[in-house]
Amino acid sequence: MSKEVELDCLGEACPVPLIKAEKALEGMDVGDVLICQIDHSCAMKNVPEWAREQGHNVEVEEVDDGEWEVIIEKVK
Amino acid sequence: MKILDKIKTDPYYKAWLKDAWPYVTGAILLSVFQIVSLASAGTPWGVSGTLADWGAWLYQLVGGSVDKWYYFASDAAQAKLAAGPLKDPGTFRNLGLIAGALFAALIASGFKFKKIKTWRQVTAAVLGGLLMGYGARIAFGCNIGALFSGIASLSLSGWVYAVFLFLGAIVGSKLLVKYFM
Repeated sequence: MSKEVELDCLGEACPVPLIKAEKALEGMDVGDVLICQIDHSCAMKNVPEWAREQGHNVEVEEVDDGEWEVIIEKVK
Repeated sequence: MKILDKIKTDPYYKAWLKDAWPYVTGAILLSVFQIVSLASAGTPWGVSGTLADWGAWLYQLVGGSVDKWYYFASDAAQAKLAAGPLKDPGTFRNLGLIAGALFAALIASGFKFKKIKTWRQVTAAVLGGLLMGYGARIAFGCNIGALFSGIASLSLSGWVYAVFLFLGAIVGSKLLVKYFM
C-alpha cells in the first residue's frame, strides 16, 4: 500500500523547500507520493526541475493565487 | 466571466505571462536592459548603493546629517544627496524594479500575502538583510553593482567577487541546513 505524505513549505524561501523535499523523499518507498505545498515562485521552478531530473513523476497544481502543490511520485 | 477563463487557458498567456521564462531569456534581457540603463543614466546598474542613499535621505528627513560620514564624504556623494531622490536615476530604477516585480506577479495571478510562520524565519530574514546590506556597502556593491555590472565593465573585481560569493554561498548553505532545517 503506497502512502501519501504532505510537506508544508508555505512561507519558506529558496532553497528550503527543495532541501526539505529532497530529505522527505529520501525516507519514502517507491510508489509513495509526496505533496509539497509551496508559495514561493522560485521553488515552483526548482523543485519540479529537480524531481524530473531524478526521474520521478511530477505534477504541479495551482491551488490558489501564488500557491501550488508539487506532486511527486517516487519512481525509483 | 467567460473571457477570463479564455485568457487563463490561452497558450500565449501561459507561455508569456504565467509561466517562468527560461534562464537564458532572463539573462539576455538583463544584459540588454543594463546596457540601456548605463547609456541613459551614465552609471552602471546597481541596487544596494541606492538603498544607502535612501537611508541617508530618510535620516536627513528626521533632522540627521551624514555630512561627516566617511561613506558620504566624497564631493560626488554629497552632490547626489543634495540633488535629492527625484534627480537620482538609481531611485527610479529601484522603484521600477519593485513595480515591475509586482506587476509580473499580479498578471500571473501569483500575488499572495505570506504568513509569518516562525520567529526563526523573522530572525533569519532580519539578520540576513543586515549582513547583506553591511557586506554590500563595505564591498562597494552587491551582486548587481559589484558582480553583474563589474563583469559587464570587464573589471577583474567582478570575477574576484564571483569567486568569494560562491565560497560564501557554500558556507551559507551549510549553516542553513544546520540551523534552519
